[in-house]
Amino acid sequence: MTPALAAILVPALAALVGLTALGRSRRAAAVAVGGAFVTFAVTAGTAIANVVDGVADSASYGLIPNGTAPMQVALRLDGLSATVAIMVAAVALAVQIYSVSYLGGDPRYPSYAALISLFTAAMMLVVHADDLIILLIGWEVMGICSYFLVAHHWELRDARRAGVKAFLVTRIGDIAFMFGIFGLGLGSGTFKISDLELLVGDDLMAGNTLTVVTLLLLAGVVGKSAQLPLQVWLPDAMAGPTPVSALIHAATMVAAGVFLVARLYDVFLAAPATLAVLAVIAAITMLGAALAALVQPDIKRVLAYSTISQLAYMLAALGVQAYEAGMFHLITHGAFKALLFLAAGALIHVVGTNLLPEMGGLRRIMPVTFVTMTIGLAALIGIPPFSGFFSKEAIFVGAEEAIHDGSAATAWVPWFVLVVAMITVTVTAAYATRLWLLAFFGTRSAPAQPHEVGWTMRGPLVVLATATVGLGVIGLRNDWFPAWLDRLTFTVEPAGITDLVPAEATLLAPGLVTSIASLVLAAIGAGLTYLSWRRTTADPARLLGRLEPVLDRGFGVDSLYDRIVVRPARRIAAATLVADRDVVGAAVTGSGTVSQRLGAAVRRSQDGDLQRYLTVLLAGTVLVIVAAWTAAGT
Amino acid sequence: MHLAVPLVIASALFAIGVYAVLARRNAVLVLMGVELMLNAVNLLLVAFDVYLRDTLHTGQALTLFVITIAAAEIGLGLAIVLAVFRGSATIDLDLLRTLADHDDGPDHDGPDLDAPDADEDHDTTIGRQAQRSGSPP
Amino acid sequence: MSAEARVLLAMIIVPALGSAVVALVPGPRGDRVARPLGAIFGGITLVLAVVAVLAFDHDAAGTFQLETDLSWVPALDLRFHLGVDGISLPLVLLTALLAFLCLAYTMRVMPKAAQPRAFVAVLLLLEVGLLGTFVALDLVLFFLFFEVVLIPMWFVIAVWGDSTPSSTARSAANTFILYTLLGSAVMVLGFLVVHAETGTFDLVALADGAGAGMARGTQVIAALAMLGGLAVKTPMWPLHTWLPDAHTAAPTVGSVLLAGALLKMGTYGMVRVVLPVVPEGTEALAPYLGALGVVGILYGSFACLAQTDLKRLIAYSSVGHMGFVLLGISTLTPAGINGALYANVAHGLITGLLFFVVGGIKDRHGSSSFDGVGRALYARAPRLAAILAFAAVASLGLPGLAGFWGEMLTLLGAYDPSSALPRGLYLTLMTLAGVGAVLTAAYLLQTVRRVCQGPIADAAPRRSSLEDVSSIEALAWSPLVVLVVLLGVWPGLLLGLTDPAVATLLGTGG
Repeated sequence: MTPALAAILVPALAALVGLTALGRSRRAAAVAVGGAFVTFAVTAGTAIANVVDGVADSASYGLIPNGTAPMQVALRLDGLSATVAIMVAAVALAVQIYSVSYLGGDPRYPSYAALISLFTAAMMLVVHADDLIILLIGWEVMGICSYFLVAHHWELRDARRAGVKAFLVTRIGDIAFMFGIFGLGLGSGTFKISDLELLVGDDLMAGNTLTVVTLLLLAGVVGKSAQLPLQVWLPDAMAGPTPVSALIHAATMVAAGVFLVARLYDVFLAAPATLAVLAVIAAITMLGAALAALVQPDIKRVLAYSTISQLAYMLAALGVQAYEAGMFHLITHGAFKALLFLAAGALIHVVGTNLLPEMGGLRRIMPVTFVTMTIGLAALIGIPPFSGFFSKEAIFVGAEEAIHDGSAATAWVPWFVLVVAMITVTVTAAYATRLWLLAFFGTRSAPAQPHEVGWTMRGPLVVLATATVGLGVIGLRNDWFPAWLDRLTFTVEPAGITDLVPAEATLLAPGLVTSIASLVLAAIGAGLTYLSWRRTTADPARLLGRLEPVLDRGFGVDSLYDRIVVRPARRIAAATLVADRDVVGAAVTGSGTVSQRLGAAVRRSQDGDLQRYLTVLLAGTVLVIVAAWTAAGT
Repeated sequence: MHLAVPLVIASALFAIGVYAVLARRNAVLVLMGVELMLNAVNLLLVAFDVYLRDTLHTGQALTLFVITIAAAEIGLGLAIVLAVFRGSATIDLDLLRTLADHDDGPDHDGPDLDAPDADEDHDTTIGRQAQRSGSPP
Repeated sequence: MSAEARVLLAMIIVPALGSAVVALVPGPRGDRVARPLGAIFGGITLVLAVVAVLAFDHDAAGTFQLETDLSWVPALDLRFHLGVDGISLPLVLLTALLAFLCLAYTMRVMPKAAQPRAFVAVLLLLEVGLLGTFVALDLVLFFLFFEVVLIPMWFVIAVWGDSTPSSTARSAANTFILYTLLGSAVMVLGFLVVHAETGTFDLVALADGAGAGMARGTQVIAALAMLGGLAVKTPMWPLHTWLPDAHTAAPTVGSVLLAGALLKMGTYGMVRVVLPVVPEGTEALAPYLGALGVVGILYGSFACLAQTDLKRLIAYSSVGHMGFVLLGISTLTPAGINGALYANVAHGLITGLLFFVVGGIKDRHGSSSFDGVGRALYARAPRLAAILAFAAVASLGLPGLAGFWGEMLTLLGAYDPSSALPRGLYLTLMTLAGVGAVLTAAYLLQTVRRVCQGPIADAAPRRSSLEDVSSIEALAWSPLVVLVVLLGVWPGLLLGLTDPAVATLLGTGG
């Protein structure tokens, strides 16, 4: 268990120590990078042990008495956590090193580095949690770190808005997520994930309840992984510093949603309706985000929409029960998307602006960045021999299998996923090519510092590019990756779960038909972009004409939410204040006024007329005597 | 003589006295009504003393007390009426309303409790050793 | 009786003694020593509270311990009965801590109306009332201490408070005292009904009896009266309007004690008095309690979204947070009530910290409105802004900090309420409370955005840099910060105390 504890506590400690180094950038950098390095070493060791021998360990550090189903501080170490943890640690290390020069001159660097360490600790907690509540804690701490980091440049309006938006949109998903956890925990009698996995086979709870519960869990996934309908926060979150985008919004936090589905996969398998919903949402998001990426002028927004689209690939894979394929893509995407973001950061650093139309011809000035980014984009499009090709192909193959395996009723889902995924390949190739051409070719822009970036920034790029090239190898042998993930596959019959069997040789190798099809489609997309670019060396997206603004604004989902959520909320808020003063408050002050008026009314009898006082006195006395007389008489 | 005779006379006298006290506007007439009531009571006391053949004659003794007290009281009452007349130039009871409770306090405008610094509030400071030092901001 | 058992009695006598001593030291010397003396007495009380915690047998947290049971008014069968169990012990410690921190803070920071002797004496008297309420085990004694709190608080607000154009300190204090007195009058009627039916005022005996001997209708009436009175104190919507004015007018330490300790008395009374003594009545009224609590959550959150004054905003947020506590109590399940008690303590710590920080901000800017405070506090006073942001994040219930466990367990309780309650209603309430949680995050982050962040050129026109956190502020605030984090990562600290007590409570309550 020590590796898991270390993976969580070392970055947390680095964050705490980093807080004492506020104002001293060098010390903060040392602490942050040192902590990230130690974390990486620990997770690398665990990953190697996992590859060699398999790891499986769990420990509980205390019960949390709450009066109902037990919650405990439980952690686990298994193949899935080891695999994801090393990806997180690697990207975190790369980002910390990169940030040293990217944000070196920033007076707020120490708090930034501490927050990144805290974020790493939180993600590690999510990855190693064996209790749903502990997972929720890590989940939300990541969210708040994301808020603080996106709003790092809080003197800028966009950053301020984006930070709040990111947190609130994910919070909506997280509340539903929490309700799902309640349902799962109370319905099964335990919040411990390893116990849940065992209980699932025994008819955990009524089918409908389980579907509702898993749909609630899905809401959290959708929020964190920026899928429809909660995808609106991710493009705006690009207002944060680029390394933050690389770490949080490409490789780790947004991957946490995918990780959750993987971690609770046995539960999700028992609710096939939810998986179908997931697949459909993912498919729609996939294409929509890719289309939006096509027209963005800001390079980071292109990459943000690209992330949404690629996450949709992973979730779609999980939705059609291509578990290993989805996780494979998670790992490869973590590498190449982080690479793309850091490279974009280098471009921005040199050119001084995020906007693609103002870049151009940078390939001569920045050769290393050019090569590494080309590798990253190639992986994104899915060109062999880069890792992206293998992982995407694995997804296509998995979808194909699902078509053959599934029952007639839900067979349309994997078909839908496959078709949409193929179309998206074209669009992906199109926007990736557009980015490549606009940034590196064409008329040379006049950058402020016309030179390649320093080695602290180039180094991570090279390392990540190497990983991007190398990771494709994993898929070549069918039983490597599934074994690393410790995957015990259920066989799924139409009637439900039947049996726990060891993983069969899951095909992760590319299939012939799908490979050719996807390469052709990619070529079409890239070719169309190239031809459009030749026609107008300004932004080829202009050629889309009237469609461009619609795609640029993300199909107007943002303004829809503004109209149906934000503005009514503000109006209700103003009305509440008025009601508090004039209705509820008026009742209270009104009681005072009523009392005063009553007093005035009673006071009218005190008119100073002595004789009236005496008359009343006399009448009262007579009444008392009569009453006493009758009472005595009875 | 039958007991009824002094009883009826005394009741009639008492009733007239009550009328005079409650319904007459002139203060002196009110005092006369009080006298009438007292003397009606005297009459009743003597009548019952004779009727009950009391050996101690408590009724008649009490009557002497009542006469004395009535005399003292009427002197005092007339003195007050004279003082009121000197002050207000009237002894019309309908016009003498100074005991009334006006909406703005017994005899001056009441404290404005919502004013920012009502230092002179006499009904809100409970006896503590707090003394207002400087003037409020 | 052993020395241990006397510790509660001592804990009440020491502040009372301190109040008298501080008030009676004559002349200018009295003014000079008043504040240190007050801090010393507050410190002694805190030490006594810690002694009580240490002497408490944590394994038997469900039973009343450290009892003092003296005959008080034999003719009326009233006993001076004090004691703590797992429910009241955390609140006692919280109150003693907050009072000490306030008295220490007063050593350097006094409200504008000066008069240190009177101020410290009043604060100590307030502490007596607060501590007494949490340890009283006799209905009349409970009521007595409940009322003792009101007069000192009136003075704190009326004499040492700040007036605003819309309401003066005096009128805010009047509203506070009259409203809560009305509630107390209704509550004592409930107490009398209970006494008339059962013949005793002793809480332990009444809790053991669990409503035996009282017909259901009587129980409902008694519960209605008692809950009505306690609801004003909580404050429950719609009986909450005294709170914003009181907070805006009160000085910093007044607000801290008002939010951190006074508001706990209402919900504590519900759990200590109403639930065990009239369980059937509580069961009948629980859905309404829960519904009104959730209305408070949403109402408070919406009101906060439109607020432009920091202190008023935190006041309305208190209405929202206490709404969660009410929802938790109304579920009548162990999880819900554990959550309610946790949220109670967490709210005391977090909102106490918030009012301290906002008080510091108000002193520096002369105003607590957004316009008066200006923007970009991160640039002008980074540590101050950081603590404000931390407190705001804690207040929105972020997991990992104290606020989370209370809210989470409350909602968990609402997911699966007691079998006698309508589940559909509670699921709806849970969902609405969840919406309220999102709104809470919205207004708190909006506040941080409005105050801490912002274009640097937009900083308050008068000065571009402020004095950052001073040493007395760091001293007063750091225990709260540490406790908020501690209770966030180690919930067992508090749950270990309350869970057995809640189990006993519901077990005997049926």
